[in-house]
Amino acid sequence: MSLPRVVITGAGAFSPCGAGVASLWDAARDGVSAAREVLFSAIAEQRVTRAAAISAEFYEANAGDTVKPRMQDRVTGFALIAAAEAVAQAGLNEADFGGACGVIVGSGFGGADTLDENYLKFAAHTYGAGLTRMDAMAVPKIMTNAAASWISMTYGARGPLYCNSTACSSASQSIGLAFQLIRAGAMTRCITGGTEACVVPGVFRAWEALRVLTPDQCRPFSRDRNGMMLGEGAGILIVETLEAAEARGAEPLAEIVGYGTTSDAGDLLRPDPEGAASAMRRALAEAGIGAREIGYVNAHGTGTIANDVSETQAMRAVFGDVFDGLAVSSTKPIHGHALGAAGALETIIALEALRSRTAPPSLNFNEMDPAIGFTPVHGSAQDFEQDYVLSNSFAFGGINASLILGAAGRL
Amino acid sequence: MRNDAASETLEDDLLDLVAEEGMIERAALDREANLADLNIASADFIMILMAIEEKYGVYISVDNEVADLQTVQDLLTVASKKIREKSEA
Repeated sequence: MSLPRVVITGAGAFSPCGAGVASLWDAARDGVSAAREVLFSAIAEQRVTRAAAISAEFYEANAGDTVKPRMQDRVTGFALIAAAEAVAQAGLNEADFGGACGVIVGSGFGGADTLDENYLKFAAHTYGAGLTRMDAMAVPKIMTNAAASWISMTYGARGPLYCNSTACSSASQSIGLAFQLIRAGAMTRCITGGTEACVVPGVFRAWEALRVLTPDQCRPFSRDRNGMMLGEGAGILIVETLEAAEARGAEPLAEIVGYGTTSDAGDLLRPDPEGAASAMRRALAEAGIGAREIGYVNAHGTGTIANDVSETQAMRAVFGDVFDGLAVSSTKPIHGHALGAAGALETIIALEALRSRTAPPSLNFNEMDPAIGFTPVHGSAQDFEQDYVLSNSFAFGGINASLILGAAGRL
Repeated sequence: MRNDAASETLEDDLLDLVAEEGMIERAALDREANLADLNIASADFIMILMAIEEKYGVYISVDNEVADLQTVQDLLTVASKKIREKSEA
């Protein structure tokens, strides 16, 4: 018996580019960055001041009735907003959830805002600034699986629930795991993706301390690149068997055809090109396609010196002769590096790229780096013809994840 | 004009700091040693930069300033230049 085919029937995005997949895709295709100045009064000497952040006003304006701020950190709110869009697009009804529907939604930091705020209150109390009431709901708001659990509660999805927390690979691995579990017969349908709400003072300062944030602009693959830019948001996909989608008359947006994930087992922070290459190779092997059948790669492309050199070496090793003509870009200068949501937002961009056969540009690319030796799509979007796209996510801890989507027209 | 003696002292202090944060024996820390050969993991390197920030108040980014460093002396040169710039500002 052959494995079931797994298709995407709905997508939702809540990002610094706006509410909805359309606003994310329009920004990516047209090269419009959501980067802005972000200042925190809690950081005494803030070194980096740019990020792609979701403002409190914009979040509140989009929260709607499903979001319950008293019970939920914004990381859960972001996910619920994105999930509502995905569920609506997929056309799911109450009967489509239940035991056959799982939830796999990852996050790197979980309820960072609640954690940050309550540590400050705790410190103020402990170190003499008087008694401050802590949030009694802090634990259930902070726990990394809160978003996944609230999605399951909101829709009555009673199948397997996982929260994959693998830093910047959280979302890609969540989608990949959903693909594998559906293929294995553990569920028929899954609400999957990632969410992150990390642009809060404590997390921002922690990233600053790691010294990988750009002080000015995120410029992936460019010779003058000097670091990454933080982002946040949520991306949610509805994935299900082709059979289940057809049975309820849903129209697939694309098929997930390959997923490869590996770990470097090397340095905690420094990426290994061989690990990244092996993830892409596994995804291609599972898809049963050759490298030249990929029309577009949404690269991890953080804009740090180390990632972009390593990822390029990996892509060159995997794509060989085809690499120089391949449309590759990083969309992180547009929506920021959304960490545990990055893979979901970028898979959604790859999905829209595939549906329109349009590769979005790498913003802020100025000059080819001789250490890299390739030029991504830049300036404006570029057409491609192939039926497949690939999205990469690589995480601290040496975790590599590559997803390949195939066009719905092949089904 | 740069005071060479003061500069030498600063670099010596920085060497102590690199040894402590990088967990390398001070006596074994040769200025001409290649950073890659010292078994300093990426995390140790960031601890060194954090310690420089704490002690001297200068922020050195991984990508901006230290991406192309080869030797211990290269690191000392970048760090002491930043520290002097700050004290002269």
